[in-house]
Amino acid sequence: MAGHCGARVMAAPLRRRAAGGARWVCGAAAQRPWKLFGAMCLLRLPRITQPLEKMEEEMAALMEQIELEKSHYSDHEIRKLGEEEQLRKMKESSYDEDEALGKTVIMAQDLEEKWEQKFLQFKAAPRITDADKNNDRTSLNRKLDSNLMLLVKQKIGNQELWLLPQVEWQPGETLRSTAERAMATFLGDHIQAKVLGNAPYGIYKYKFPRAIRTENNVGAKVFFFKAFLQSSDLSQAELKADHLWVTKKELGDYLKLEYLKKVNRFLLDL
Amino acid sequence: MWAAAAVRGLRGARLSSWLPQRVPLRESHWQSSLLELRTSLPVRAQPKKKKKVDVKKEQAQKERMKKKLKKLEKAAPELIPIEDFITPLKYSESNRVRSLPGLSPEESERRVLLLKKWCLFKQKQDEAEKKAIKGLVESQQEALKELRLESEELYEAAIRRDEELFPFERDGPSYTPPLPGYDPPEGKCIDITKVYTQ
Repeated sequence: MAGHCGARVMAAPLRRRAAGGARWVCGAAAQRPWKLFGAMCLLRLPRITQPLEKMEEEMAALMEQIELEKSHYSDHEIRKLGEEEQLRKMKESSYDEDEALGKTVIMAQDLEEKWEQKFLQFKAAPRITDADKNNDRTSLNRKLDSNLMLLVKQKIGNQELWLLPQVEWQPGETLRSTAERAMATFLGDHIQAKVLGNAPYGIYKYKFPRAIRTENNVGAKVFFFKAFLQSSDLSQAELKADHLWVTKKELGDYLKLEYLKKVNRFLLDL
Repeated sequence: MWAAAAVRGLRGARLSSWLPQRVPLRESHWQSSLLELRTSLPVRAQPKKKKKVDVKKEQAQKERMKKKLKKLEKAAPELIPIEDFITPLKYSESNRVRSLPGLSPEESERRVLLLKKWCLFKQKQDEAEKKAIKGLVESQQEALKELRLESEELYEAAIRRDEELFPFERDGPSYTPPLPGYDPPEGKCIDITKVYTQ
């Protein structure tokens, strides 16, 4: 309660004098000088694993070596050793050859070669996609090993800014539904996204410039919500053309400093 | 004359129609002979056994059965063997032991140092994760505090538990992205795991 009154005191000293006790005003006033916005931070989760660091690679190699040392021979290896013995014996002594010519045996070595061939024939999809190479920031297929966030160009006041999609709150709906509406206005209705809970993750408060500021309209509070994108392709209508999918590191290129600081607080490093 | 009188007087008797009044009458159809007393027992009625002894015997039998059942139940149920923990005997044969050259002192030194560095690396990673989570929680608390200052109902709506969030399922990342238009080979997977019942 006290904090709320404190904010009002900062913004509108006249009102306090007029009303008398500060506490009184807070209880009685139904007008709130802050506009509420709900913003959605839509995350596309990584599709491939991140590359291992040097330390992790060394450790993985060591673990494999230790595992090999502690293990016993498997059935396949025993068979291979046995056949190698047989081959050596055949080469040393000539009379076994007649016996061996009769039967065609598949050796373990042949099997291994066959498997190797089959593996080489398979072509996996590349980890670094075309979108990465062209640095096409509007496609979802880039940076498959990190989280991607949706940024939209919006008009705030008289400025065009890159922001997380936000929409003003209307009375009668919860903030979460405001955020979902924001997502729907920019990406269309057919998006499968899992919103992570009813509570906001972060807040960005700002005051309007002095020209617009009135007693009833001091500033705005933008509440951020997080959601995971579940459908992998967005071939449905993208209503606003100016959208970007960026990683956390690239956010600095687009967002304003204060806004960026608040947004970075609720994003994990990925 | 005397025959008619005899017939009138003796209703049931067939044989002795000439006898005076005191004549043995067949009182019931169970009496097979008129001259004898009632000797044969009625054949169709239930025999009257002494009930008490039988009831006691049956009760004793039931108690014995119950005791046996209790003993069986008290005995611990047979444990289901965990197949992963039982090494099949064929793998402990001597020809299976791998023969590799031993470790040189430099190699073991390198390994020990690497393990120590790994320990430190993991500790730093863990601390960073915990710090990130703490930052996340702080940011959320701040947002909720501001929301509360704005309106109580919105705050209540935000505090409410989201029932649809859990169970949350997600496929983890793989090494390469999925190949578009990949046709996996046909086949059937037959499950041969042994199922034990207690």
